[in-house]
Amino acid sequence: MRARVITVGVALCVACKGSEREVPKPPAKLAGVRVVDLIPVSLSGESWQDAEPFLALYASNPRLMAASAFTPNPGGSASATAPIFVSDDGGDSWTLRNTLPSQTMTADITHAVGGNPPVLYAGIMKVPDFPLNELKANDLFSPATMRLQGFRADIDQPFVRTSAVGNADRVYIGLNDFDAPDGRTATVDVSLDGGTTYTSRRIETRNTAGQNGPSIRPAVAQDHTVYVAYFGWRSNAGADVTSDVVVVRDDSGATGATPFRDLVDPSDHLPGRLVATHVTIPWSNAPTLGQERIGSTLSIAVDALHSDNVYLAWADRVGTGDIYTVHVRRSTDRGATWSSDLRTLTNATDASLAVSTNGTVGLLYQQVTGPAGASRWVTRLEQSGDGFATHQDLVLATVPAATPPFQFLPYIGDYNGLLTRGNQFLGIFSANNTPDSANFPQGVVYQRRVDFPTHRLLDGSGAPVAVSIDPFYFSVPVLP
Amino acid sequence: MHIRSAMLFAVALSFPGAAVAQMSRAALVKQSDIIFIGTVTQVGAVAVPEVPPSDRTVVVRVDQVLEKPAPVALTAGDSVTVETARAGSLKAGIQATFYTTGWIFGRGVAVREVGHEPGQSPVATADAREAVARARAVVNDADLKAHIQRAAMVVAGRVEQVRPAELTAAPTRPRRITEHDPDWQEAIIQVEDGIKGAQAGEQVVVRFPGSSDVAWVGTPKFAVGEEGTFLLHKDSTTGSPRTMIAGRSVPAYTALHKVDVLSKQDATRVRDLIKKP
Repeated sequence: MRARVITVGVALCVACKGSEREVPKPPAKLAGVRVVDLIPVSLSGESWQDAEPFLALYASNPRLMAASAFTPNPGGSASATAPIFVSDDGGDSWTLRNTLPSQTMTADITHAVGGNPPVLYAGIMKVPDFPLNELKANDLFSPATMRLQGFRADIDQPFVRTSAVGNADRVYIGLNDFDAPDGRTATVDVSLDGGTTYTSRRIETRNTAGQNGPSIRPAVAQDHTVYVAYFGWRSNAGADVTSDVVVVRDDSGATGATPFRDLVDPSDHLPGRLVATHVTIPWSNAPTLGQERIGSTLSIAVDALHSDNVYLAWADRVGTGDIYTVHVRRSTDRGATWSSDLRTLTNATDASLAVSTNGTVGLLYQQVTGPAGASRWVTRLEQSGDGFATHQDLVLATVPAATPPFQFLPYIGDYNGLLTRGNQFLGIFSANNTPDSANFPQGVVYQRRVDFPTHRLLDGSGAPVAVSIDPFYFSVPVLP
Repeated sequence: MHIRSAMLFAVALSFPGAAVAQMSRAALVKQSDIIFIGTVTQVGAVAVPEVPPSDRTVVVRVDQVLEKPAPVALTAGDSVTVETARAGSLKAGIQATFYTTGWIFGRGVAVREVGHEPGQSPVATADAREAVARARAVVNDADLKAHIQRAAMVVAGRVEQVRPAELTAAPTRPRRITEHDPDWQEAIIQVEDGIKGAQAGEQVVVRFPGSSDVAWVGTPKFAVGEEGTFLLHKDSTTGSPRTMIAGRSVPAYTALHKVDVLSKQDATRVRDLIKKP
């Protein structure tokens, strides 16, 4: 489907925080957009690859937020804790606090906020040895290390979502559990009691190629409908995996004895709707797309107020000369039937979806554009109020794809984050941090020391700092 | 200079609690990542709004930074919030060497006190810097000595070959495909100097993760032609403790800590540390 793009051509005033940190304002900005580099001024000397960012929002207090990335404890490799970013002013400024029980850094982290009271839940792969740690913090600002509630080895990519029911939070942690029987590794750890206890729910019901793909992504609606998307890996040949893209659903918050069985595919009458079958997943754990690895891009979002309306994005290789292609589809009948591609985005990754309360869908993705040698990572937020018949396209960042050279993988992340609250899309992505206004068409605010005229990062003493990958928070008004 | 240093050493170290009072400067340095000389300007206060004030927080004006991680923006004249180890242990106007760990990084730096060393005002910064540097050297030597003692083998040599590891032990479960896969490789090292547990002329096999994944960042990688001093540990990580070389079954080793791979010139330092009691 060919969508009509709504051109953005409005003025924006970026928050003013002093001349050193303010971008000269280029034209053609969308009003109300904010982009903020999370690295605080007191860490201006950092040049780490702060990849794979994630964001959590406090519904009870719009000013509170938590964020993470592969950011190390500034104390160095001997540190017993890893940090998390915290904002208490709605994302205008961020502090780094070392409250995660992992040596220096985590090997994976996502998090979400519960509602009773608003506590933070996190799922991490802990360093060393990389076991799953399911964590909880009653007070985001407490200096105490987050409390361990569950742990085990042999898992991958914990992905946390929550909902509040009565006096107890429900926590859903999608993960790839290598100890699951019969190679059906797609799993959701479900807690119905605020993380006190977790039960591992296996959601794959078909035979696999020995395992599922790493990404297991839950999404929760206010009526307690829970969708989970995953890759049903069926076979592999060399670096290519043949996979189905599957969505399961539970209509009662996964509270029953056999959850995630409410959506059945008509082809085999098994739980899990096959949204796409026999797609080719190029599994490459090496720099492949703008220095990034590829192989498990997946996102699902449900309209929180109308749970029959759900969007799905994944990436595969379609074989038309592409490296990696993002597809976006929609269901308006609780996952029973799905559209064809609403968006098909060549050489893109890190797709993240969110659906606003007015039904507008947001699609965050990062795409490599331009010729080899001059290619760029372009971070875009698309919005549509009509299922992508039309959409608004907003470039949040366009940065060189070849610099800085990767320090490790992922380069910018196996995922990023997009959420919605009220009339805002709120998200986070990682990108080259060169302070160049041309790289941030909507403007940008740095907390760390920078010199825009010379496009230089500066340390505390004013000496130049090498360009690196930083996490950037953003907020964008939802289309009315 | 020597008199000043002696004076600095002679001042009473101020630590919370009697047990801690016995801590040496080296012990303080070992636990600290931000060390500076500073003057207390406010008690029960904070320098930045991100930190809640309490009876344990003081504001310290930095007079001289002695040690800090490179990312941290901290220079003389900055005000730092210090959470003291004990309420009431510092009064306004006191100048001291502060041994701390990073706590909160925002518009300013907030640190947690490990201990402090009150000085006669003004503290002789050159002497303090020298004393801290000496203590850091002691800590580093002690850490390295402990690593040497834990190592099964210490050799100086050259990497002759790198090959994919063939893990021979029967797998307990199918091989998993994950982005965190270590992608084990083997480096064959020609031993030129057998410092501990090896002889010159031997070849040893060292396993290392070839993966660029974030889980293995900072783990030493080996390349053909690389020379160095290597602290080797029997492989208890891969589940396959032996490997093959020239048709023979031999133990496999690992060197997974950054201290396990040193320069060739460090062989002398390693020998000296082995000889030290």
